[in-house]
Amino acid sequence: MTRKQKRLSVIAGALAFLGAATALTFYALGQKASYFYMPADLQAATLEPGQRIRLGGLVENGTIVRGQGTEVAFGVTDSEETVKVRYTGLLPDLFREGQGVITEGSFGSDGVFVADSVLAKHDENYMPKEVADSLKEKGVWQESAQ
Amino acid sequence: MVEMGHFALVLALVLSLVQSLVPLYGAYKGDAKLMAVGGPVTVTGFAMIALSFAVLTLAYVQSDFSLVNVWENSHSLKPMIYKFTGTWGNHEGSMLLWVMILSFFGALVAAFGSNLPATLRANVLAVQGWIGTAFLLFILITSNPFTRLIPAPIEGKDLNPILQDIGLAVHPPLLYLGYVGFSVCFSFAVAALIEGRIDAAWARWVRPWTLAAWVFLTGGIAMGSYWAYYELGWGGFWFWDPVENASFMPWLAGTALLHSAIVMEKRSALKIWTLLLAILTFSLSLLGTFLVRSGVLTSVHAFASDPSRGVFILGILTVFIGGSLALFALRASSLTAGGIFHPISREGALVLNNLFLTTATATVLIGTLYPLVVEALFGEKISVGEPFFNLTFGPLMMPLLVLVPFGPLLAWKRGDVAAVAQRLMFAFGAALLVVLVTFLFIDGASVFAALGAGLATWLVLGALTDLALKAGIGNVAPKVALRRFLGLPRSVFGTALAHLGLGLTLLGIVGVLSFEKEAILVMKPGQVLEIASHRLRFEGLQPVRGPNFTEDQGRFSLLGPAGQPVAEIVSAKRFYPVRQMPTTEAGIKTLWLSQLYISLGDEANDGAVVVRVWWKPLVTLIWGGTLVMMAGGFVSLMDRRLRVGAPAKRKSADKKPSPVAT
Amino acid sequence: MEAASYLGAMLFWVIAAVLTLGASLAVLLPLARQAEGEADTSHDLEVYRDQLTELDKDAARGLIAPSEAEQARAEIARRIIKLDAESGSKAKSASPLAPRLVGVVAVLAIPVLTWSIYTAIGSPDVPSQPLKARLEQKPADSSVDELIARAEAHLIANPSDGRGWDVLAPIYQRMGRADDAVTAYRNAIRLEGSTAARQSGLGEAIAGVSGGIVTSEASVAFEAALKLEPANPKARYFLGLALAQEGKVAEAAIAWRQLAESLPADSPWRSVAEQAVAQAEAPGAPANQAAGAPGPNQSDIDAAASMSSGDRTAMIEGMVATLDEKLRQNPRDPEGWLRLVRSYQVLGKTELAQEALGRAYEALGRDSEDGRKLTELAGSLGLKVTE
Repeated sequence: MTRKQKRLSVIAGALAFLGAATALTFYALGQKASYFYMPADLQAATLEPGQRIRLGGLVENGTIVRGQGTEVAFGVTDSEETVKVRYTGLLPDLFREGQGVITEGSFGSDGVFVADSVLAKHDENYMPKEVADSLKEKGVWQESAQ
Repeated sequence: MVEMGHFALVLALVLSLVQSLVPLYGAYKGDAKLMAVGGPVTVTGFAMIALSFAVLTLAYVQSDFSLVNVWENSHSLKPMIYKFTGTWGNHEGSMLLWVMILSFFGALVAAFGSNLPATLRANVLAVQGWIGTAFLLFILITSNPFTRLIPAPIEGKDLNPILQDIGLAVHPPLLYLGYVGFSVCFSFAVAALIEGRIDAAWARWVRPWTLAAWVFLTGGIAMGSYWAYYELGWGGFWFWDPVENASFMPWLAGTALLHSAIVMEKRSALKIWTLLLAILTFSLSLLGTFLVRSGVLTSVHAFASDPSRGVFILGILTVFIGGSLALFALRASSLTAGGIFHPISREGALVLNNLFLTTATATVLIGTLYPLVVEALFGEKISVGEPFFNLTFGPLMMPLLVLVPFGPLLAWKRGDVAAVAQRLMFAFGAALLVVLVTFLFIDGASVFAALGAGLATWLVLGALTDLALKAGIGNVAPKVALRRFLGLPRSVFGTALAHLGLGLTLLGIVGVLSFEKEAILVMKPGQVLEIASHRLRFEGLQPVRGPNFTEDQGRFSLLGPAGQPVAEIVSAKRFYPVRQMPTTEAGIKTLWLSQLYISLGDEANDGAVVVRVWWKPLVTLIWGGTLVMMAGGFVSLMDRRLRVGAPAKRKSADKKPSPVAT
Repeated sequence: MEAASYLGAMLFWVIAAVLTLGASLAVLLPLARQAEGEADTSHDLEVYRDQLTELDKDAARGLIAPSEAEQARAEIARRIIKLDAESGSKAKSASPLAPRLVGVVAVLAIPVLTWSIYTAIGSPDVPSQPLKARLEQKPADSSVDELIARAEAHLIANPSDGRGWDVLAPIYQRMGRADDAVTAYRNAIRLEGSTAARQSGLGEAIAGVSGGIVTSEASVAFEAALKLEPANPKARYFLGLALAQEGKVAEAAIAWRQLAESLPADSPWRSVAEQAVAQAEAPGAPANQAAGAPGPNQSDIDAAASMSSGDRTAMIEGMVATLDEKLRQNPRDPEGWLRLVRSYQVLGKTELAQEALGRAYEALGRDSEDGRKLTELAGSLGLKVTE
């Protein structure tokens, strides 16, 4: 191979590598990004069975039911619709009735959302951003003056 | 004298403005006096910001609630250490720390740059001045920590309890030293573009700054990871959270820069690429600052979101990234390209390293920004998390890690892969053995876990092989080998340590991901739990009063083989009344390289409590490995040839040698 | 104090001036100094020379083959030659006027810009206020908050100072900090012993915590006070109020009448009790006055004592309205709702009570624990619980 050919083959190799990496990245974005929904958005959404989503809203008052051991069930609401969520594990420190949460998981066959992670806010000034934005759109929640 | 701090900050802004313009004009006109202004102005500017920061710290220590910033983030009952660290546990204070470190680096360049070409030095200081001016304006206009509150309240609103931890003393300063350290590389790159030439002194200077920034950033990220691990109570060490990615991207790009700077210094090749990387690395630091500080992301790091701040930082971001890239596009062609080399060579290996690392950086960047873009364009909210990064970042990193041991063994200019492979036979054989042993003899080991353990072994032994070969161990008499070993350049040790540390971190990650055991259960006092052949007895809950919190301490005994308690582990649920916030204080017991991790949940009836216990095998290696990497960077920095500036000048005995060069 | 702050301000401006001067000197001195020039290429030469010595060392150690070393040496030599060719091509042109002007502008900019920006955004007249110094200054210069904070700091250091608690308790009560008042009274009783004044104060504070409702816990304290001093007017008044709040208005009126008759004419409690009697016996007003929102503290009672009955009703209605308003803004306050519903009913405003009940259900949820409490209360007050 001449020097020019060599150089070309090196450049072609690098481009092929970059192309493969780009393709992989966009494939992964299509497959692995999870969408965020509020309970009222779910009717319009078409979810495949078992598809992972993030479900956000407020923990509805009076819906927290503790089961055996670390099982817990609660309702997530955006004041229009409520979705029942089931979760096993430790709840975050700031998980309370009436507070914003984001749960991640998928719907079970019985229509209950089975969450494998529950995120609450980090401090008392903070509401998960997605939840805050959606609630503001619906006019349910106003930012309290601090 | 609180107002003194405010005044000093304004003075620093004006000095920074002078620093931005006067040396630049001097370099343009070739006026030595104007260029000489850069040094003293930079040092004085740093002194002013340091004074300002000291005044703010004093206000925190003395609980001066006539400052809005102190009132919002402190409390008179807070333990002294957190009053002190609370200075930067909030948006305004942390931005002040940011500029203080920025001006500190500028002052270092000014103080130790006396042997740099005068125009280069002047231009570098001017570019540092631009960054400083932009951020000082940002602080004074949108985030002034010296805003007063009259009449002063008698009590403050306290610091977010999650931040009331020793981690706050270490993590942000280290991280900022890393982020901002890359500003020096950026300023050197922009200065070179302004001058239209890159000389050998340039390459010599950029590498130690990159190394120093990289060492700090590595430490900052590792510290943040360990902090999140023990403070948040979920026992995770990395979440692919956008804020973590924001610090990880400059690290990846910085690592690439570190490697390309070697080629540039040794072989005068890859000049333009190195310059571009220097710009990109600091741009990613700025992007990280924007993502974390603007409130577009919510996390424990986003202290308060205020749209005006986001817009301001976005403006800074656009001007600096856009401006430097435009300058690059204009001037890069005028820079002379460097030497040529064969693809199979040390240079070739380093280029490959850069290809992988920058691609990985791009992947993380896309994964981090994609949700923001999608929301801005389509209003849809999506999140990109661990599954995405496992699918993209993982496959990109694996081949790179396989190739790591080859690099240092290849010769410059033209290397021989077959010979290198032969030398690595031992490491390869040992790695293969580890794969087989892991797979066959450890319960529950997946193929993936076995390969991971093998890869980690490969990295560790590859690094050791490099040292052994260079010392000639096995080829020459042991005594000679020892003398050679001790006489090896420090940068060789640095490389080996950094690669070895990488292997250790990988081993820790594989250990935790593949062999972790977890139990969630309700425990009554006296109940014994067995996990990974360790026996834990729950002794009961006990209320305890802290200085500004109350807590329920759950006491656990680790039982020895005869059932006698050998160690006590305390895990607690705390409540901070001022902020009405509970936190979880995990109980952690380190057993050699592994840890038992206990976190408490809600209290059930009759003294029973929900308990989550993890056995985390080899987990300490994750951070231990980064410490070894940092040590590698540090040792490399100590290499005489890398020391800032030119080597000791034999000819000029009359001149004072610069402190670093001696 | 005046003089001290004046001195402080002077000191500030002096230090500011010194800092400005220092900053200006940082620009001025390099401009005044004679600068030395140096050929630009010397630095590169140093680097290359260093690379040569390093190469020799590596070769001596046997790290690279002699042929490779020779090649590398040749390459470095080529770079040095190239360097020589480049140097000397530069000429320095010094046009003295423009740079000097820039220097002068820079030196002047420092004081002018700094002082104009600072005076625009700074507060030079406001002294530092470290908490410790604020707590140590002369009591006359302190605000009430500061004095209380000072007492609190003292009590944190000496929690067994019963007299301190005793002094602080009524102050808390007057400041409306009923929670803290309860703690302070309890500590005072524990450390200094039980007296009628402390017990009745404790009762009043407990009633304050529950929004003016004389709870059974408060009653226990008042009864303890009466045991120690059977004539204690505060305890007797509040026990009467407890009866009224239970709906036993007639019995309350009797108790208050007995209280009023037993007190001398100049006692503030006498008129309070008399007016309570008048209110209780007024036709069409089955309620009493003090059931309303934030528990009457001493100054309210003093004020009420000197009011006509109409004014007093207005005052109470004002309190209830305040509570109502607060709950509109922050509906997540079950205690508040209980109090509001009860208050409207006690004031005889059944419609408003009914409406408040509806709003409370809306805010708290009918099936929640708080909702059930509301239902219970509504039942005992005779309100309709619509399904």
